[in-house]
Amino acid sequence: MSATALSALQEGLVSCETCGLLSRPAGADQRGRCPRCGAGLEARRRQSIQRTWALIIAAAICYIPANILPVLTTHTLVSSESDTIMAGVIYLYTSGSWPLALIVLVASVMIPIGKLVALGYLLISVQRGSVKNNRDRVRLYRLVELIGRWSMLDVFVDAFVVALVQLKPLMSVEPGPGVLFFMAVVILTMVAAQSFDPRLVWDSDGDGQGRNG
Amino acid sequence: MAEPADLDGIPQATVVPKKHARLSVVWIIPILVALVAIGVAIQRILNEGPTITIVFKTAEGIEAGKTFVKYKDVNIGQVTAVQLTDDYGKVEVKAKIAKSAQGLMVEDAKFWIVRPIVSLSGISGLSTLLSGNYIGFDAGKSDRSQRTFTALDVPPIITGQPGSQFVLNADDLGSLAVGSPIYYRRLPVGQVIAYDLAADGKSVQIKVFVNAPYDKYVTSETHFWNASGLDVSVNANGVDVHTESVAALLVGGLAFDTPSFSSQAAAAAANSVFTLYHDRSTAMKAPDPVARRYVLHFRESLRGLAVGAPVTFLGLQAGEVASIGLSFDAAKANIRPRVVITFYPERLIAYASTEREASRVRAQDEDKSKRDLLLKRLIEERGLRGQLRSGNLITRQLYVAFDYFPNAPKVKINLSPETPELPVVPGPVVDLEAKLASILDKVDKLPLAAIGNDLKKDLEDLDQTLQNAKQLLSDVDVQLVPELKSDLEGLHRTLAALERAMNSADTTLLGADAPAQQELRAALQEFTRTAQSVRALTDYLERHPESLLRGKSGPTRGAN
Repeated sequence: MSATALSALQEGLVSCETCGLLSRPAGADQRGRCPRCGAGLEARRRQSIQRTWALIIAAAICYIPANILPVLTTHTLVSSESDTIMAGVIYLYTSGSWPLALIVLVASVMIPIGKLVALGYLLISVQRGSVKNNRDRVRLYRLVELIGRWSMLDVFVDAFVVALVQLKPLMSVEPGPGVLFFMAVVILTMVAAQSFDPRLVWDSDGDGQGRNG
Repeated sequence: MAEPADLDGIPQATVVPKKHARLSVVWIIPILVALVAIGVAIQRILNEGPTITIVFKTAEGIEAGKTFVKYKDVNIGQVTAVQLTDDYGKVEVKAKIAKSAQGLMVEDAKFWIVRPIVSLSGISGLSTLLSGNYIGFDAGKSDRSQRTFTALDVPPIITGQPGSQFVLNADDLGSLAVGSPIYYRRLPVGQVIAYDLAADGKSVQIKVFVNAPYDKYVTSETHFWNASGLDVSVNANGVDVHTESVAALLVGGLAFDTPSFSSQAAAAAANSVFTLYHDRSTAMKAPDPVARRYVLHFRESLRGLAVGAPVTFLGLQAGEVASIGLSFDAAKANIRPRVVITFYPERLIAYASTEREASRVRAQDEDKSKRDLLLKRLIEERGLRGQLRSGNLITRQLYVAFDYFPNAPKVKINLSPETPELPVVPGPVVDLEAKLASILDKVDKLPLAAIGNDLKKDLEDLDQTLQNAKQLLSDVDVQLVPELKSDLEGLHRTLAALERAMNSADTTLLGADAPAQQELRAALQEFTRTAQSVRALTDYLERHPESLLRGKSGPTRGAN
């Protein structure tokens, strides 16, 4: 099916990413603007693959301290305790609330890593000019874009808890350095997902021309 | 665009894709992130302290990731793992120590578990009720670092406080425990930190710690005694109740002091060994290196005399009863009570001279003969005798008193034997009994029957005499009373005449027109006039004081 479909690029046309209007490009090297909505037009996002790679690598680097460093430091009257994300998950699980543990595990550990793996897979497959499972890959991309925002859950919880639990001197909660890295992971993966141009997926489907990297 | 067909043959310029910069600016992001991450990692690694292993008997309240190692209440580490040793006999606790405390992990550092302890002497480790047990730490003095330690079973009482440790030898532990307070002049100045049976099992060695400002009062002549509980002693001096404090009453305690007669003032070296005395009085007794024993042979019962009872010299304690027994006098085939006393010649000397001389004499210790001579003179010339006395009417405790009895029969004593015998006199109780007996003897000898007969005869005589007296009185009644009556009537008449005379005098002297009255009135009037003229004169003189010198001036000048 995809084999029969033409892409705008192959026809020398540019589609607006905002309103979907198909238009002719303004000139060879000029990008131009959409005549209907005024959005900037590009045949393919510039340096999409390189940018996405850079952001994914940055996110992957941040992912390590995000999990090693504590995200939350709880000071009580007599002691203070620092917890990492995994420690929180383990604590929730051992204290009996395994559904919560599962939610935190999925939202905070599995989704970021899943996004990294998914984007990496998309990039590699695009770079290798793979033509298999084009639709699945685009679906995967949509999924990554959709769930990206939900990964901020942990950061929000952290911010809420820190703001609310300030019962000094009995108890207080402070954010740990881990939460900064975690936030960086989430933001970087979201930006990476944005900078990846899904249209690249089916560029290889034709004769492979116009690939932009 | 007007004629696109004409231009079809013109080849399109090939667009050579611009050589994109191989590296996008975006790569700065992962580089920055990597730098930050590496920085954090380096900081972590640099701050990483050593991981040490502490071997405990039990891991009471220790949890991995929860239990801290604290030094002076500062967290210096955290337990990372708790596991059994390879032989399953003990618990191995691994703890990550902060980098800043790395230097403290030396070979004589101490670790122990801090848990809440509620005892009579106080509550400690209360904060662990909330935070859970933690591992206490005390720094060592060594320089050699170490990573494996064996924890103490009991927390050390003293951690890092300045002070000195001493060892006390005691017969038994009494009611002491680790943590029992030590008092100096009723000030808590230290604690018992450990105790153990001596190697031979015949005494108890108690380690005590005296805090810094006070340890200098422990000199080599300091005496320690057991101030535990309530020290109630019944002796010849009455009932004595001693306690250092309420806490000591409950948990026991020690006290120390230096006797006033001691000469050593330098503080004792740490770990010096002292004897622990049973109570204050034994501890504070002067040391009596040349105590001499004497034997006394009393004639009365020794009931109420105990070993340890005081021996007084003129009311001051100068020794004590060392033993009580009976001695058999073979020559006289007689058994009599024998009391051996320890009588301290130093004290005699001390009482006999000034304090300074006493110490000098004691120091010389060569004048045994001089002391003997003194004692001999006191006994033979002044009549110094021993006597059993009741110290307390209620408890009936006896003590031995030495006093002067100038009337006592003269004796000669021999002080050369090892335990010389000193002369005694019967005690006051015995004395009283003897006197009573002699009185009763005399009463017994009185001829009571003869006295009774005589008395009866005397009474009959008396009866007769009384009869005579009665007769005499009745005679008086008959003969004297009528005469007395006529005498009384005469007296009555005389009194009536006297009354009349008084009445006439009344009218003469006090009546309204009595001549005496009139004369008195005239005299009073004359006096009044005199007074008036005197007043006039004084008035004039006040106005004209010069008239005293110049005489009375004429009326014209006087009018001015």
